[in-house]
Formats: sequence, structure tokens, C-alpha cells
Amino acid sequence: MTESRKTRAPRALLRAVIAGLAGVFVLLGGAGAAMAQPSDSNVEGKNFVIGTDTTFAPFEFRANGELVGIDMDLLQAIAKDQGFSVDIKSLGFSAALAALSSNQVDGVIAGMSITDDRKAIYDFSEPYFESGVQMAIAKTDDSIKGYEDLAGKTVVAKTGSEGETYAKSIAAKYGFTVKSLDQSATMAESVKSGSAVAVFDDYPVLAYGVSQNNGLTTVTEKVPGGSYGFAVNKGQNPALLAAFNDGLAKLKANGEYDKILDKYLADPASAVPSNFWERLGNSIPALMNGLGHTILVTAISFAVAMVLGLLAGFMKLSNNIVVRGISTTFVNIFRGTPLLLWAFLFYFGVPQLTGLPMSIWVAGVLTLSLNSGAYVAEIVRGAIQSVDPGQLEASRSLGLGYGKSMQKVVVPQAFKMMTPSLINQLIIMLKDSSLLLAIGFTELLYQGQQIYAANFRITETLLIVGVIYFVAIMALTKLANYVDRRFNK
Amino acid sequence: MSASPVETKKPAKITVKGLRKSFGTNEVLKGIDVEISEGEVVCVIGPSGSGKSTLLRCLNKLEEISAGHVVVDGFDVTDPKVDINEVRRHVGMVFQHFNLFPHMSVAENIMLAPVELKKATKAEAREQALTLLERVGLKEKADARPASLSGGQKQRVAIARALAMNPGIMLFDEATSALDPEMVGEVLQVIRDLAASGMTMVLVTHEMGFAKEIGDRVIFMDGGVVCESGPPAELFGNPQQERTQEFLSKVL
Repeated sequence: MTESRKTRAPRALLRAVIAGLAGVFVLLGGAGAAMAQPSDSNVEGKNFVIGTDTTFAPFEFRANGELVGIDMDLLQAIAKDQGFSVDIKSLGFSAALAALSSNQVDGVIAGMSITDDRKAIYDFSEPYFESGVQMAIAKTDDSIKGYEDLAGKTVVAKTGSEGETYAKSIAAKYGFTVKSLDQSATMAESVKSGSAVAVFDDYPVLAYGVSQNNGLTTVTEKVPGGSYGFAVNKGQNPALLAAFNDGLAKLKANGEYDKILDKYLADPASAVPSNFWERLGNSIPALMNGLGHTILVTAISFAVAMVLGLLAGFMKLSNNIVVRGISTTFVNIFRGTPLLLWAFLFYFGVPQLTGLPMSIWVAGVLTLSLNSGAYVAEIVRGAIQSVDPGQLEASRSLGLGYGKSMQKVVVPQAFKMMTPSLINQLIIMLKDSSLLLAIGFTELLYQGQQIYAANFRITETLLIVGVIYFVAIMALTKLANYVDRRFNK
Repeated sequence: MSASPVETKKPAKITVKGLRKSFGTNEVLKGIDVEISEGEVVCVIGPSGSGKSTLLRCLNKLEEISAGHVVVDGFDVTDPKVDINEVRRHVGMVFQHFNLFPHMSVAENIMLAPVELKKATKAEAREQALTLLERVGLKEKADARPASLSGGQKQRVAIARALAMNPGIMLFDEATSALDPEMVGEVLQVIRDLAASGMTMVLVTHEMGFAKEIGDRVIFMDGGVVCESGPPAELFGNPQQERTQEFLSKVL
């Protein structure tokens, strides 16, 4: 995984975690074998789960809410030819590879270059696409005609990509500096805004962006580079791999292969409508779907976090050192570690260790609720401790037991005090749920990323996503305050 | 006890023997022996830090007892097998700072224990709460929130609440110390009525005049021990101990 072509939002951490997990998975490789499909030379009538990137236009991206692109069309055509069916899981590049390592998916097709490092972990099909690096500049810039005009300038390339490797290999010769970024859309923005003069990237990606009016134009010939391949876990699913190769050869022979490539590369503009507002209108259902998932996962997680938090909060007040220790450990672990780490551990690590598949909803809810539960525990403890001890004494002096006294006298007062903090926690959780995009959870920001990765309108798309978050959170705050006033007079 | 002239008295309601209480290394009760008979009204006086509140709080085990024995209404509260909640239902307690439950109405404050301990239905408990409120002169405040009451009213509600389980013993921990002077009278009147009804009472108080008037016996504590005890006329009129004389000369 040394050359991860592209990654998602919280990248540095994500890469670190993925790399770490991958290492663990390789070591634990034996455990995963239990989940593998039994090898069988016949794939006909079978269904395979295939992981892919979220958006890597023109290989996979969403048009009108549907996943399309070269990878998708090729895979479907091969599946049809070979008589098997596929379930596509749009996870994100790194997440798809982690899912493959943990046998959550049977194969990955994600515009992935075949490299020696990857070949050590995965088995690749015959190359289905010959890529190459190309350079693009801003359409309005007429000062750059070739590499020699880059002297003293800064260019951008995608972190870990072949474009970056190539740009660095000629940087000294032509006297320019290479700055690494992580997404095609952000690279285009930085060239347009002038913080860099050129971008080095895979030629199909650049060609597609140009067709989407991303404000760039290509000025050099492509440098022949890597080949893209379909991958399965090492030693597993050989039948699927064979079927892919067989189907690919047939498509190439009957001309369908060229038709698919032409559809996205020869005249890319015809592949998707280019009007931003039209496309935004088309993306509203996806955004609303994302918002629905964001709200639902937050609601479920918050309910679980409240139960956990109340439990752990009370345990923290226990006289029993063991009980208190358990609670303190829980709080310290989940307050002291990043949310994202647990998302990866639950979604990729747990299936690896237990041999059982993990639903992304379960992983998401566990991640959010355990993290938030730790904070709720502290809120609960603080609120209970802030209730005048005389209240408990008065209740106990009446002959009510500890539990009854807490339930009837202390907790109602504590609850009133903790409500504002809990509302705060709920809002933090709703925002934190966006981190789940890293494991491919289709929440609001994830949907936004899909949209801008396909249309290159980062600012507009993010503003719209921001407005949706803001409105949702304002509405939630109003509702929570209303409930607070209603029940905590 | 067999050789003492106890036979002439009513049976002991509270017996404290060799009671010691430490907070960490700080011993605040250094061996207390007190016996209180049924219907007796005992006032405990003494300088701050003398241990009088701690003594009171040991009687219903709001404080863990370090050593010695405390027998209340026939229950040895120092016996770990005793159900302390059962004991506390026989012992009402009134606090300096009232400790009313702010999230409940006045009537709900009083109804809480009888309802939760299944001694009465809600309707019965409310009936009883109104009767108790009438007794302390606050029937019209039944549905008010504690926050809307004056200090004197709050303490009268607290007394009504403490009476809700029909205790045989009432403990008053500086019940008038947090009140404005003009409100002390109304609370003392309620306590006076209670004393007249034959309730066994222990009062920790700074109201020397009241202690003299209401007490069957006054106990003077200093430095964690009972320094002197006797009928109010004797203790106030002719204190035997030097420390008692010194204390009284300052407060009277």
C-alpha cells in the first residue's frame, strides 16, 4: 500500500491507520481464510461483492445518483458475459483495499495501478487500462508551453500517485517544486487559484476534468505509465479472476471494450451533463439521502451513548474501586483515542479478528456511541456531583434507598443541569458523523464529496453541504431547547 | 444499667454507648454515652466543631460510625445486618438548609417517602400531606414550588416532610440557624407544638433561650465529649464545669 493512488478527507491519519491495519491483516492472514469463498472454477450464477472507490472519474463516479464510469461499465459487461452478478460497494480507495484484505469484499476495481507492492498482497487480473501521466495548466495561462517553462514554479500532484513520482523525477532537471495534494478536484482548484501553475495526474482523470469545465487544459503528451488491474485477495477467488480475464479478452475482441472507453474518454463531455445547476438539482436526492443517513446514525448512536454514558457516569461515582476503574478505563480509552481509529478498527479489524462480517451501520453506531458515551459519562458524573449532597441526605434520611434516592431526587435535578451539555454533545456527534465517510458510510459530506469529485465545483458543493448541515443543526438545536424548556421547567 | 435508677424513667428510645467518630485522622467524637427516653426533648449545645451535629447525624447513620454502639428505637444501627432504611423511617430529620427537593411541589416533597415506600397510595399520601401542611400552617402552599417559599416556610415544609413516615423520633440539626431572625419564631412554634405532642426529639441548636424553654434536658458538648448535661434550669442556672461556664458567658 505504499502507492495509494488516492485517499479521502482526513488523509494523513487515514493512511497511517490503513497502512497499520493492512500490516496487521497480512499477519493475521490465516484467520481471514475462513471467510473466503470456496474456490470453484464455475462463477456462473454466483454473486460477488466488489469494492470500488467513491469517486474517481472517469473510472467510477455518480451521474444522476447512479454509479457509472469505465470500471463500472467494464465490470458489468464482463459479469454479463460470464454469467455472474455483482454487488458494488462504493467504499473509497483505501477503504476498498482494507475491505478486500479483511474479506469484506471479493474483489476491488478502482482504477488501481498494478504495482509490485500490491502484487505481494493481491492477485491482479490482466491490465484492463493503460494509463499514463500528463500535465495540465489553467486554461487562462499562456505562459506554460512545456516542462521548460516550469522553472522556479510550483506544481501539484496527487500524494503517492504516479503523477507525483514522475513530477519529482523531472523536478530537478526543470527546476520546479512539487507540492502533493490528495484529490483531483482540490488540485484543479489550486492551479486555478494560482498557488500552483500546473498539475501532474493520470491522463484519463485530467481529460475528464477538462471536459467538465474544471478550468484546466492539457499541454503535454502523456507519459506511458501504469496499468490498471482488477484485484482479488492473494490466493482467493481464482475463478473470479479467470472469469474477469476471459470476459475482458472477449470485450476487447468484439469491440465493446473500445466503445466503453470512447464513451468516457473520446468525447467525455457527452457522458454527463455539464451544467452545474442542473447537476446540482440531480444531486439533491443523493444529498438528502446522505442527510437522512447522517441524522439516523446520529439518533441511534446518541440513544446508545446516553445509555452507556449514564451507566459509566454512575459507575464513576461508585464506592467500589473495580467498578470505578472499569468506567474510568472506558472513558479514558475513548476520550484518549481518535474517533476515526475506532471506525477503522470496528469496520475492518473486527471482521478480521472474528471472521464475521460487520455491517457499516453497526460499525458507525459503535464508533460514534462509544466515543460520545465517554463524554456523556463525564457530563453525567459532573452533573450528579454538582447536585447538593444535602439532597441525597434528605432523601436517605426519609428511609429511601440509594437507588431510589438517585432516581427520584438526584438524577432529575442532575438531568436538568446536564441538558445543555447533552445538546452540545448531540450536535458534536452529528458533525462528527461526517468522519464515517472514511469507511464509506454514505452520509451527507460523503455525498457532497462524490458530487464535487465528479463536477469539480468544490466551493459551491461544500457551501451547499455546509448550509444543509447548518440548517439541520439549527433545527436540532431549536428542537432540543424546546424539549428542554418543556420538561425542565 | 441494672444498678442505676433508670426504672423510674420511661424506656430508653435512644442509647449511645462509647460512640467514636473520626474523619480521617481527625477524631471528632471521642466516646459519647447518652441515653434518651421516650418523649424526652434533649437540646445539644456547644461551640462550633464540638461534634454536636456529627453526634446527631450518627443517630440515623448519615455518618458511618467508627466505634461504639447506637441503639435507636430498638434497632442497633451499628449492626451491619440492620436495614438502615427501615431505621430511618422511624427517625425524622430536619436540616439547617432545609434540603427540600426543588423539582417537586411542596405536597410532592411530603408524599415522596410514603408513596415510594408503598406505605400509602398517591391519594392517601396527598391527604396526609395536606393534614401535615395544615399542622405547620401551610396548607395553601401544597402545590407551590419550594423556590417560591420564604426560609421559615421552607423549614416548616421540611418538618412536615420529616413527619410523613410517622417517626417516633425527630432530629433537628440547627433548624433555625439559616433563617432570618423574623422567621425563627414560626419554626420554633412548630417545634414547640411537636414537643407538646410527646415526640422524642433531639435538637442541635444555638437558640439558648429556646433550649431553656423547650428542653427536658440540655447536653453541653465540647471537643468531642459530653462536658455536662442536666435539666435546663440547672445547666444554665448553675453550670458545674468551667468550660460550660465559659461557653455560656459568651452566648448568654
